[in-house]
Amino acid sequence: MEKNVTLQHMLKRTTFLPVFSTRSMHTNRWLERILAFVFLAPSLLLFSIFLFYPLLKSVYLSMNLTDPRGRVVQYVGLRNFTDLLTSELFYKSITVTLSFILLTVPTGIILSLILAWLAQTRLRGIHLFRFIFSLPMAISVGTGSIIWMVLYHPTLGTLNYFLSLLHIAPINWLSDPNWALFSVALMTVWMNLGFQFIVLLSGMQGVSEDIYDSAQIDGAGPLKTFFKLTLPLITPSIFFVTVVSMIGAFQSFGQINILTKGGPMNSTNVMVFNIYQDAFMNYRFGTGSAQALILFFIVLILTLIQFKVLEKKVHYQ
Amino acid sequence: MNLKAMRRRPMALLFIVWMMLLTSACGSTISNNASSDTTKATSGSEPVVESVKKNEPVKVVWWHSMSGELGKTLDQLVSDFNSSQQAVQVEAVFQGTYDESLNKLKAAMDSESSPTLMQVYEIGSRFMIDTKAVTPIQTFIDKENYDTTSLEPNILNYYTFDNQLYSMPFNTSNPILYYNKDAFKAAGLDPENPPTTYEGVAKAAKALTTEGKSGASFAIYGWFMEQLLANQGKELIDNGNGRTSPATSSLLNSEAAVSTLTWWKQMLDDKSIINLGRKTDDTKKAFAAGQIAMTLDSTASLRGIVSSTKGKFEVGTAFLPKPEGSNEGGVVVGGASLWIMNNRSQEEQQGAWEFIKYLAQPTTQANWHINTGYFPITKKAYDEQNVKDNLAKYPQFQTAVDQLHQTKPSLSTQGAVMGVFPEARQLTETAIEEVLNNSKSPREALNDAAKAITSKIQEYNQTVSK
Repeated sequence: MEKNVTLQHMLKRTTFLPVFSTRSMHTNRWLERILAFVFLAPSLLLFSIFLFYPLLKSVYLSMNLTDPRGRVVQYVGLRNFTDLLTSELFYKSITVTLSFILLTVPTGIILSLILAWLAQTRLRGIHLFRFIFSLPMAISVGTGSIIWMVLYHPTLGTLNYFLSLLHIAPINWLSDPNWALFSVALMTVWMNLGFQFIVLLSGMQGVSEDIYDSAQIDGAGPLKTFFKLTLPLITPSIFFVTVVSMIGAFQSFGQINILTKGGPMNSTNVMVFNIYQDAFMNYRFGTGSAQALILFFIVLILTLIQFKVLEKKVHYQ
Repeated sequence: MNLKAMRRRPMALLFIVWMMLLTSACGSTISNNASSDTTKATSGSEPVVESVKKNEPVKVVWWHSMSGELGKTLDQLVSDFNSSQQAVQVEAVFQGTYDESLNKLKAAMDSESSPTLMQVYEIGSRFMIDTKAVTPIQTFIDKENYDTTSLEPNILNYYTFDNQLYSMPFNTSNPILYYNKDAFKAAGLDPENPPTTYEGVAKAAKALTTEGKSGASFAIYGWFMEQLLANQGKELIDNGNGRTSPATSSLLNSEAAVSTLTWWKQMLDDKSIINLGRKTDDTKKAFAAGQIAMTLDSTASLRGIVSSTKGKFEVGTAFLPKPEGSNEGGVVVGGASLWIMNNRSQEEQQGAWEFIKYLAQPTTQANWHINTGYFPITKKAYDEQNVKDNLAKYPQFQTAVDQLHQTKPSLSTQGAVMGVFPEARQLTETAIEEVLNNSKSPREALNDAAKAITSKIQEYNQTVSK
């Protein structure tokens, strides 16, 4: 609390600095705007090259057919979109994507919340545990996928070896359509755990000790403290992690490409992988772009909903 | 250090360009200077080949997809070629898997960064022709009256379209049945008399299945389906497998395909084989670990399989099985070939052709064959002493060679060609999965797959003819 007060104090002081006081308010505002654009220019330029231009190009491509070399040959209007909306595979990939998100995002956040809560306690050597819990973040998707591929191997994998010790029949983790999505989701939860853990832990550490002290004096137990104090106070972190993880889950590609390639029977064929297959393996940039645009709108709408609905529950200190 | 300064200079220039762009309108000219400076700086850090002659040697860039041991052997071939003469210098660049490499080519096709020589997998042939960005090898053959009679006719057949050899075969393989001789003995089967028919394989698999061990496992790989059909003399797509004119529909739902898939599924239902998914790598590992007694794999895996099972058990090889009573067909050539891109200068294309001729020589092919497991593309390579020694040491390899030579030339064994081959393969694999996982009957799954492939072919034809 004290920190906040001093910070506000400082802010006030800086605004009162008599830098522009000799000029009129009007020119000041102008200069500030120009200055803002100068500072924004590098990122704006990069954004337009790598995001805005490709976005416009996607819109253009989505209304055309391309030849095997990816060159536009024919304008087809909205046919790519109508084809998609009547294709069974497209709906399948949407359901797969949504189930993948349901499998990964809530589980990941709950697990990292538990880990963060455990790692927040003051014990000797807790730093070591914090380090271990955040380790998955240091591993790239490619490396992580290869590690899990070894674990999941149908005949030589570690997981099936443990199952055999318990006299359970081996599971085809990646080649059984009923298991494949679960297996990829499990790997993804593990992979994202590090990042989610760090964000939530830092959120928890940002909660002032005074609050806990007064709660203790009032006789609140550890569970009550967690649910009534910690959880509400770190809602900004939880909200941030939810939005970021969800967008991340929508864009999951690496682990699917390495572990299952969308199979078996398209049971792990999430939208992003389907886009990759259509556009970059089968050279149909038209349908690929159309799908990318649909995905863009789905993510946009879901993120807007999150901001409109969930953010109301977020408690900023 | 000099190197450091060189690296920093473009960065500094780029920074200046940034500032100029932000402040004035003349940024573009400067940025041109900067980029040319950058390229100079980077090319200066590469080893420059000093030419002894007045004429600079022609530089031929070759994109390939050979990694690991294959890549090392390939680099050796290139450096041997480069040191054997002065006129042409080949630079081999690894560009990832066949798929990745082809994608990069597509992106680079109209630019300066495209290669002169390109290695493309066999199923990319139709695509390469349709791009109209290649010079057929036939042009060079005709110009020089290059003698192709010593080359394997079965291999040449695959890459010949409209009586023209479009690309030069380089690494070729076909699928064979690998089996564990020790397991055969233990099960009371004759290890020197492996099954050659579907029925025989099913019977053997049943006998070989014991507690904790499975009779066989075949990876869900579209290539095996294609090969099993060709092995019965059946075509995969219409219009003579796409050879007489571009294909318009898929024949994947033929009786032969349905019965092949029924056979596969029946063995799974009998619990005499297991399903290990799409990766041949997984079946290979399970075979090497003695967990399955039979598997299908490419001949190119022979060297790896034999060395990974050394001391554990004896590996036998047999022809790809076919249904009883079928005596048609044979295997289709797999692997990759070399294409010359037509947007490069005449000198470069000629240089690439010189290199191709070097690669096709019996000694080069013998060397390549021994170190990789791919077939030699020329029959003369079998006369080389090291090839004879190798065949004596690894008698298993004889199977593959015999299988290639006994293949009856026809449209079915010449191999299907279609622009959407990679995608057709994915769809075939999905169909096999649907059958093995009890989601659809063989006929249903193949009907659906054939329908999907047909619509992809038609869409492709629509974009190409324009």
